[in-house]
Amino acid sequence: MKRLMEMFLRRLGSLLATLVVMSFVIFLLVEIMPGDVAQMILGQSATEEAVAALREARGLNDPLLERYGRWISGVVVGDLGDSIYMQGVSINSILWRKVGHSIILAMTAFIIFVPLSIFFGVLAGVKEKKPTDSIISFFGLATMALPEFVSGVILITVFAVQLKWFPIVSVIPIGESIWQNLNIVVLPALSITLVMFGYISRMQRSSMISVMNSDYIRAATLKGMPRRYVIFRHALKNAMLPTITIIGMNMGWLFGGLVVVETLFGFPGMGSLLMTAIKTRDVPLIEACVLLITVIYSVSTMITDIMYSYLNPRIRYQGGQK
Amino acid sequence: MRRTMLVVLLLAIPMMVFAGGNAEQVASEKKAPVKQIRVAEQVPGLITPGVWDGQVFSMNSSIYEYLIEINAETGELDPVLATSWETNEGKVWTFKLRQGVKFHDGSDFTAEDVKYTIERTQDPSLGHLKKTDFEVVESVRVVDDYTVQVTLKEARPTFVYLFTDYNMAILSSEYDYASLGESKPMGTGPFMMSQLVPKESALLKKNPNYWAEGLPKIDQIAIYFVGDIDASISMLESDRVDVVPFITPEIQQRVDGIDGISVISPYQEQRFISMRVDEAPFNDNRVRLAFKYAMDPKVIARSTAKMELNDGVFYNETPIMNMLAEYKELPLRERNIAKAKQLLAEAGYPNGLSTELYYASDHPFGKELSQTVKELAAEAGFDIELKGYTRDVYLSQYWLNVPISITGWGGRIDPSMLLSLAFKGGGPWNESHLDEPVLNDLIEKISSEADPDQRMAYYHELQEWFYNNGPLINVQVPYLVAIKDNVVGYRQPLTMLPQYKYMDIL
Repeated sequence: MKRLMEMFLRRLGSLLATLVVMSFVIFLLVEIMPGDVAQMILGQSATEEAVAALREARGLNDPLLERYGRWISGVVVGDLGDSIYMQGVSINSILWRKVGHSIILAMTAFIIFVPLSIFFGVLAGVKEKKPTDSIISFFGLATMALPEFVSGVILITVFAVQLKWFPIVSVIPIGESIWQNLNIVVLPALSITLVMFGYISRMQRSSMISVMNSDYIRAATLKGMPRRYVIFRHALKNAMLPTITIIGMNMGWLFGGLVVVETLFGFPGMGSLLMTAIKTRDVPLIEACVLLITVIYSVSTMITDIMYSYLNPRIRYQGGQK
Repeated sequence: MRRTMLVVLLLAIPMMVFAGGNAEQVASEKKAPVKQIRVAEQVPGLITPGVWDGQVFSMNSSIYEYLIEINAETGELDPVLATSWETNEGKVWTFKLRQGVKFHDGSDFTAEDVKYTIERTQDPSLGHLKKTDFEVVESVRVVDDYTVQVTLKEARPTFVYLFTDYNMAILSSEYDYASLGESKPMGTGPFMMSQLVPKESALLKKNPNYWAEGLPKIDQIAIYFVGDIDASISMLESDRVDVVPFITPEIQQRVDGIDGISVISPYQEQRFISMRVDEAPFNDNRVRLAFKYAMDPKVIARSTAKMELNDGVFYNETPIMNMLAEYKELPLRERNIAKAKQLLAEAGYPNGLSTELYYASDHPFGKELSQTVKELAAEAGFDIELKGYTRDVYLSQYWLNVPISITGWGGRIDPSMLLSLAFKGGGPWNESHLDEPVLNDLIEKISSEADPDQRMAYYHELQEWFYNNGPLINVQVPYLVAIKDNVVGYRQPLTMLPQYKYMDIL
């Protein structure tokens, strides 16, 4: 347990270091983006005078490091600043609502694709080289090859345009919350499922096959254990390890990187907010979104590592045997 | 087996929840008792009048009001917050104001507010977009609560038109627009801000104290901020919104033929194809003429907007729109490739010349127009390289500094507002870098001439100058709005401000 704690602290330290470096990289990247923020805000009718006044008012003329320092010192105490457009409207009030929507979408997708792909992955692994395996593998490959903007359009065409089961655009009517409109989550979640299904089921299949061919499973089978028992009690736990890694590695994407899916469906989440922020050069908002995504990626990777070492005694005890 | 059951259950529960939500929501939409119009607009930038970039017209034009507005049907000036105005030779202007008007916060509208709004244009910390236009104001005097007198430094017979500009909404002198203007916009308009979700939506409710009897006709306007025009149209198709303004011709084709949806064009916008005259090759008028001879207005109309010339798309070689009273009908230049080639040869380019055309690729008609111009000009020997950038990059990095550019210009009901900004030596938006004494003089005379007939004569002279020497092609393309057939009375004059108070939904 002490080792685990130590590892946790070490990981936390490197996570913080990553975030500090990343925050500066994000700031620099946004800085070198083409286009001028003040010009962008004021549009074509802006005179040079108006642009200059706005740059001054928003502190855009200050040196780079000064602006970075101002921004990061706010972030540390949880103040993400104001949107460059809506003065007096803090980014916190814009961002968290969208993050909430994105979490609901991610959770929905998660509870659909994780059991589904693990189940079919195990099935394909157990029925290796049989027709069931071929069908599942083919389907997995096909969905993997289809980018989400293609599968999304197919889903929209079938379920929204033809069958009219779900709305074409995932918009929350004004004055209502997402809880009254959960139907808008389904198609984006299915679209994510299609992307993830191939990855995870194939990973699950190959690890299942290698576990099923291992000596201890053979021993268990020869000992006369029921096959179902062998698969679920002995094989599955070990075969899950690589799958968990893959799922964990994709959690960052799932919670913060759904820009394409959210934009395609017009879903009011963090991905589409980031897209809007980039399109309108809303620098503080871009920085806040990207930093949050970085945090999610780093934290989910860390959790995966910890979970992995917890589940896999070989890694957990490696340090102790030195 | 238990696990399989669990998986099935896990999948089934959310499905049931979502399907249930769907049915409920359809029911609640059907029994909506309020009369509302739903609009999908771009995500707004700054919205406080003065620095408003002109996005989400439906929102600002409903919350704020102006001294005067343009009647969308007649093109005349209609009194709004001013009931009448008079001038002494265009130098001293007296406005009588409407009595009994209240701002949304309950305060009274008086002459002080008009004084505040005008003086605010000169606030150096604000970067007011109308600062230059209002520099001509010498003083604003409050005569009494409902009379304002504006004295100008020099005569401006068409000064009153400046008050139709969308950034000249009348603001309350007691409201803190610096800190509340973006989050709680407040004016005297027919609708009041009820709920604003940043980057997502706005709900506007009818102003119960609105001064005009019987207006507005609807109870509320729901505005969705949608960054993507395709998503906006999907919302229109699936009956989630009723109006989608500022669509592109490609989108128009997609919407055409859908029952219950029409595309209307309340007014025309201008696309200026400008040649830079202080550098080769366009410093030679023969090159400019050759370029103009290479164009074919009919082809431009058809391939840019899928419309016929003079039926939705208009074309001339001057800064004056065809629909304005000041427009002088000059013969349309017939396409003449031989003549164009000859002019180029005379100017020292017997083998043609290479140049670059810059434009905003994400602006409606930008791609279509630039491509057409390139191909038409190629036959006369112009080898044009197209340089398309997103609008912000185009405006901030290239505009005003390139050999040929295509830029969108809103129409002005009083064209003199545009002339000194864009065609006079030293003007801030002088794309062509024009500094012709004859032209500068004409523009000066137009803005100070009090006699309307004489002013018209100057306008005609100016257009002839442009026809013979000008570096400009003015293609007027429709501003397109996709709208449900049950929305009636859509009005949006050349000021671009839609008048939702007159609109109704059946």
